[in-house]
Amino acid sequence: MFQTIVPLFVDALANAALIFFVAFGLTLVFSVLRILNVAHGSFYSIGAYVSASIGLWIVSAGLNPWLTFPALLVSAALVAALFGPLIERTLVQWTYGRGEAVQILMTFGLFLILEDLQRLVFGVSSYYEDTPVALLGSIEIGGIIYLNYQLLLIALAVVALVAMRVFIGHTRMGRLLAVVVADREISEALGIDTRRMFTIAFTLGIFLAALGGALATPTAGVAPGLGADTMVLAFAVAAIGGLGQVEGAALAAVIVAAARVLAIYLFPALDAVAPYLVMLIVLLVRPYGLFGKPAIRRI
Amino acid sequence: MLTVRNLKVEIAGVEVLRDVGFSLAAGKATVMVGRNGAGKTTTLRAIMGLLPWKAGSVRIDGTELGPLPGHARAGLGIGYAPEDRRLIADFTVEENILVPALVRRMSAAERTRRLDEVYSLLPQLAVMRARPGGGVSGGQGKIVALGRALMLADKVLLLDEPFQGLAPALALEYARTLAHLHSNKRDIAILVTESSPKLLNSIADATLHIERGEIESLASPGDVGGLQHA
Ligand SMILES: Nc1ncnc2c1ncn2[C@@H]1O[C@H](COP(=O)(O)OP(=O)(O)O)[C@@H](O)[C@H]1O
Ligand SMILES: [Mg+2]
Repeated sequence: MFQTIVPLFVDALANAALIFFVAFGLTLVFSVLRILNVAHGSFYSIGAYVSASIGLWIVSAGLNPWLTFPALLVSAALVAALFGPLIERTLVQWTYGRGEAVQILMTFGLFLILEDLQRLVFGVSSYYEDTPVALLGSIEIGGIIYLNYQLLLIALAVVALVAMRVFIGHTRMGRLLAVVVADREISEALGIDTRRMFTIAFTLGIFLAALGGALATPTAGVAPGLGADTMVLAFAVAAIGGLGQVEGAALAAVIVAAARVLAIYLFPALDAVAPYLVMLIVLLVRPYGLFGKPAIRRI
Repeated sequence: MLTVRNLKVEIAGVEVLRDVGFSLAAGKATVMVGRNGAGKTTTLRAIMGLLPWKAGSVRIDGTELGPLPGHARAGLGIGYAPEDRRLIADFTVEENILVPALVRRMSAAERTRRLDEVYSLLPQLAVMRARPGGGVSGGQGKIVALGRALMLADKVLLLDEPFQGLAPALALEYARTLAHLHSNKRDIAILVTESSPKLLNSIADATLHIERGEIESLASPGDVGGLQHA
């Protein structure tokens, strides 16, 4: 049993790591801007399309295949730089102070636009580019073979979490972001340009989603509908952890991975719904999620 | 230093400030007295850019604040302590006081100089510097908010109802602190709002009465008992 459950769990954890990047961005945008961006998952699929396209180009142009690794990061940065400031300064800004219904409708509209845009640019066929997985190969530990790329995904998720803590706790920008999360109005009165902070946080959120998507292409590829699927899963993870709680989202991602493995073992039919069952149970017991608090705002 | 003229503010279609005008001078402490709902908090929030105004003007040393976004106003040397303190619960007292230093990218030397000044004016703060902002009492929180405002107040210090909800002993301590501050920081203009003027008589150089969004009378220095530091 150990021989099968461990690789299954590692596989689930690697997937959870990707979803964690999306949930991380979602929760970051939620805590700073106080909006729930329904279109957030679309940046995962756009990140995936862009990184797959760049990866395929690198391979077909006969460039050094190791360039596909920095290409993953560059793809995410490109998507964030292209969409982040533009969308926040235009569509998202109109929703500030207008209530949740307007925010959900507006970002849902954005989601529809982005879905069409992806079909227009990338067509309906699926993209798959696995050079990074092939380059890294696999490793045998205790008689079990793991894909090094999957281990890398898990490590990267941990690195992202630690990096965010260091950023929030020890850099000027991160500290100011924490002040904005805690109290917008006093931020403004103390001289913080809160609008600029919103743009930065929104762009960072998109970067995280796009990075998740870019990192996913080598193992899973990308096809139409990926954005919506990812959004729903990422929302479940963010809600389980408590909206606005980054550590909560990380723990939720691990729990969801464990639940899926358990489901595969006990009720294989429930594999896909396991994350939502966990969400249902957690929210029934703790309506604000595992780490969530109704009033206090922190990051 | 700071001049407010014919300020009109509407909140949700209701005219909350109808005609507010006054001016503050460097080295002078002005007390704005008015009952609850008179418009004291609204006046300060409008000056800080937290509320838009319909008409009127606010100038600081000749610079019109109207077109400036809120965050740009703090940089002109206005320190503001809101009536509800608004400390960052996760930050220590010292980190709260240092937020303006972070915002203004103060050099380490400048930061230390200002922080030392705040601690020497408000020695209570040095004692609780390491406590979390969320873990100080309401009265102590008011002093922290005052210290934080001092980091920015090169020209003007705006204190909104600092005595509201303070136990008598703490209110007396705060008033003493304010008097000490007033006599030691002669280069800044101070505005304190209050619903009852008693505690501030000793430091008020001028008193403004605000009633239903209008300044009713301007008492000039000498009308009010006390003051006379020099
Ligand atoms: N957010 C708000 N919405 C509606 N009315 C408000 C709001 N804030 C203040 N007011 C009204 O504006 C008036 C002045 O309030 P405020 O400036 O807080 O008075 P003060 O600080 O002198 O007690 C009050 O009548 C109050 O009801
Ligand atoms: Mg008030």
